[in-house]
Amino acid sequence: MESLRTLYRYRQLIAALTARDLKARYRGSILGFFWSLANPLLLLTVYTVVFTFFFPSNVVHPYPLFLFSGILPWTFFSAAVLESTTSISSNAGLIKKVMFPAEALPLVTVASHLVHFALAMPILLIATVGFALHGDITLSATMLLVPFLMILQTLFVAGIAMTVASASVLFRDLRDILTNLMQLGFFVTPILYLIDRVASRPFRALLRLNPMTPFVVSYQDVLFFGHLPGIADTLLMLAYAFVSVAMGITVFGRLRDTLAEAI
Amino acid sequence: MPDYAIALTNVSKSYRLWGRGSQFATLKSALLKRDLALTPETSVEAVRDVSFAVDRGEAFGIIGRNGSGKSTLLKLISGILKPTTGSVRVNGRVAALIELGAGFHPEITGRENIYINGIMLGLSRKEIDARFDQIVAFSGIPDFIDQPVKTYSSGMYVRLGFAVAVHVDPDVLLIDEVLSVGDEEFAAKCVAKIQEMKYRGVTLVFVTHQLDQVRNLCDRALWLDHGEPETIGDPVRVVDAYLQAVSSTQTVPPRAATDETKKLETPRDDPNEEERWGSGEVVLSRVALVDNRGDELVALGPGTPVAIEMDITVRVPQDDFVFGIGIYHADGTCVYGTNTDLEGLMPERLESNGRVRFIMPALDLVAGTYRIDAAIHTRNGRAFDYRRGAIRFVAGSRVHDIGVYRPKHQWKFEGGIAIKEIDLEQRNVPIEVAEAMREARKPKTFNHRDTENTEKSQ
Repeated sequence: MESLRTLYRYRQLIAALTARDLKARYRGSILGFFWSLANPLLLLTVYTVVFTFFFPSNVVHPYPLFLFSGILPWTFFSAAVLESTTSISSNAGLIKKVMFPAEALPLVTVASHLVHFALAMPILLIATVGFALHGDITLSATMLLVPFLMILQTLFVAGIAMTVASASVLFRDLRDILTNLMQLGFFVTPILYLIDRVASRPFRALLRLNPMTPFVVSYQDVLFFGHLPGIADTLLMLAYAFVSVAMGITVFGRLRDTLAEAI
Repeated sequence: MPDYAIALTNVSKSYRLWGRGSQFATLKSALLKRDLALTPETSVEAVRDVSFAVDRGEAFGIIGRNGSGKSTLLKLISGILKPTTGSVRVNGRVAALIELGAGFHPEITGRENIYINGIMLGLSRKEIDARFDQIVAFSGIPDFIDQPVKTYSSGMYVRLGFAVAVHVDPDVLLIDEVLSVGDEEFAAKCVAKIQEMKYRGVTLVFVTHQLDQVRNLCDRALWLDHGEPETIGDPVRVVDAYLQAVSSTQTVPPRAATDETKKLETPRDDPNEEERWGSGEVVLSRVALVDNRGDELVALGPGTPVAIEMDITVRVPQDDFVFGIGIYHADGTCVYGTNTDLEGLMPERLESNGRVRFIMPALDLVAGTYRIDAAIHTRNGRAFDYRRGAIRFVAGSRVHDIGVYRPKHQWKFEGGIAIKEIDLEQRNVPIEVAEAMREARKPKTFNHRDTENTEKSQ
């Protein structure tokens, strides 16, 4: 409760720092903010070319669009979590020299990655419309559910980010462990393939245990397949988001007082 | 609302030593005060059992050697660190100047950084809008405000940082060794700003090695030694005790002097009693306010020539000595202070007893109670004998003017202004009565005399 009140009080701070992060990222580059749009666009183009002309895939059609609708939420998750491991230690000055609410730092990281994620969405929509005009796919109203998925996923990511941000101050190894886990996680999440087509039972069980699975599958459901997310997936997402936020607040609350001296 | 701004009760802070290889910047202090190789404990106490309260509007200085826990104490007050035991209570908005511009991002402009920094210090966007021009004006770098701060010189960086921090309008301002930043001009501006904040009732806590600032700006001071409070009280006395200690670790003082120190160092709280301290190699055996015939005065009228007389008893001859005097109003305001060093009177030799006279042709003080401090000390400020409130006297005046200083003056009126001078003795008499009495007497011719105060009647 205390944590949530602090967050509300610092909403302006989080907003300002997020804007600062985004501005600082592109300051000095000629295309500036356009890179946020260009990066996913280029990625989508590469996927389309590769999987249409060089390695035609028969998983689903059109495969680039399927890949893209899973890869975007995954990138949001992995980039935000990995970057949050250094969010506190790279701002040591703030924690040690200013009365600064440390919880704002991982949340700023999450928020700025959320902005990148949100900016990539229009590219995905335009691509979907393009493929629909071409007759490869039909547009569906389920796309309107994307914001709700984003809210749930943001809560989930924020909880994890707060946990790893505070824990990695005391356990520096966490960052390296997570970097490797994320690379593994990419393949243990049904992004490149459909979970139903996985033959191995133990591997499918492993996929089910991955908390990112219901999120990625749900994005694919509403964006690509044009149907509502499954009930089981929805419940899992709610549960993961709740557990993650609770864990983030608890762990951060425990470690907060030691941060200033442990950095 | 409680009347204290800051209250610390039995505050201790230990830093835990984490496993091998963990880097710990704040251990600086801990490492300096203990030989870690000899004490394999897993925690180091940086601050031990500190209790004090700072009143609203008070300026409080914290001094001590490197690693004595000063900065840790400031961080505890600011809330950056949490005490291991004890409690820290602070009333009102706190701003901490621990590192200026700590939150600046190099890639974005000064303007944007002002906003971010202001929000970090607890202002809203609107409040910053309202203060923006003042902040830029104070920083003195308006031409660079739309440049990324990575292009700033380090001086510009701290200017901007200080400008933002002091415009937060805090109730409590914590300052860690930052008043020495920037060039002379800016440092003076900072001190002036701090003084202004003090007059506005902002509670100030300083950590500094610049003992002059403690003496000049603070109402009280704390000397922290190895994390423990050594002395707390009058800043001049605390600074002096500290200087004594610092110099005594460097040179062994004469034995007689040490005994004298013990005897002299008895702080008293009664403001009417004299406080006296010093190492005692030379003492002020008598301090008196005398008139031009050499008679001691306890009351003083305007226009009287006076002198402060100090009889010097030399126990150990000295080569480095400064005589100083200070005149204070009873409320603590310094009316005037000077010493022989400031006025370019270089000490050569103090061989044997003597007398020093500080002669004033007139000491025109506004009516009130005053005290005089007299001291003999070394040129770096270590006292041989410091007598705070050595003399107390009352200044009388027929005119109930206000302030601390009465310049020589006269009123002159030209044109169609009618003014009559009345007898000030009759001031409290109803005006008609006074008029009647005046009519009865021969009307005075209106002439102007130096130092005589002529008043207008409505």
